[in-house]
Amino acid sequence: MSDLTTSERLIIEPTFTTPEIRFDPAAGRFFIGGNSYPENSLKFYGPVLQWLQAWASKHTPTSETLTVEVRLEYFNTSTAKVLLDLFRLFESLYERGQPIQIRWIYVAEDTEMEDAGIDYQAAVKVPFELVPVDE
Amino acid sequence: MTVSYEHRLLFRHEGPLDMEVLPVLVHAAERALQNEGVRPPLRRRIISSLIELAQNIIRYSAVNEKYPPLLLLSRTDQGFVLIVRNLVHYSQELFLHSYLQNLVSMPRQELEKLHYSTLTEGSYSDSGGAGLGLVQVLFKSDAFEYELTPVEGEYSWFTVKASFSL
Repeated sequence: MSDLTTSERLIIEPTFTTPEIRFDPAAGRFFIGGNSYPENSLKFYGPVLQWLQAWASKHTPTSETLTVEVRLEYFNTSTAKVLLDLFRLFESLYERGQPIQIRWIYVAEDTEMEDAGIDYQAAVKVPFELVPVDE
Repeated sequence: MTVSYEHRLLFRHEGPLDMEVLPVLVHAAERALQNEGVRPPLRRRIISSLIELAQNIIRYSAVNEKYPPLLLLSRTDQGFVLIVRNLVHYSQELFLHSYLQNLVSMPRQELEKLHYSTLTEGSYSDSGGAGLGLVQVLFKSDAFEYELTPVEGEYSWFTVKASFSL
């Protein structure tokens, strides 16, 4: 399968250093998963943020909850910062009345990932669930 | 800075470093740590530090084929030691020294605050970095040392030693 960018969907296949991205608003699901340590996170995530901004600007809030799932393995600090920008975009959508649930998925015993999730939970005003799973 | 030869070497890379090599190194280090029975929280702290230090080299290191970067991970009785060394131009030395002196003198709580405020309020560098790499390594490691030692002409080795307790 290859990358796909349309106004309706954004699909980016994973590489060793960049994550899988599946933004499918029609299905109410936004997913980021895998490794994320590109050399330049802005270069990788810039188009993702732009796509999301463009979609959000045209989106009329509905009663259906949009689910944002993040399940990362290794990620670098510049990704950590971009993720916050991404969550803030969802936060602005939430403030406009769109129900949103962010799910931060991590391996249960990985307290480092749990702590990262707690930081994001504190930094954005949008329902943010920490979801421990088995390895 | 001392490295005991009694340390058991788990992983070593001395040579060019770029974004094609890095995933191979991450995979090798991860395998080595898994083989040592290291569980996710500690594994993540070590690998994340390796990634940050390696990407600092990719972004900022001086390049000279005679003096390639060195990354090594070894096991000690107390845990693990990650050593990363690269060449820096003297023009970077003063900045690195004052930046790191400030960081290493910070109490952990203050470091945590700096990490959080840089994450939430900081800006990106031209190379796409968040200015958090070394803060993250200090934050994630149990002991952190660095040194700058002259190599040749205008260049020095910048060596970071990050220790992680079991």
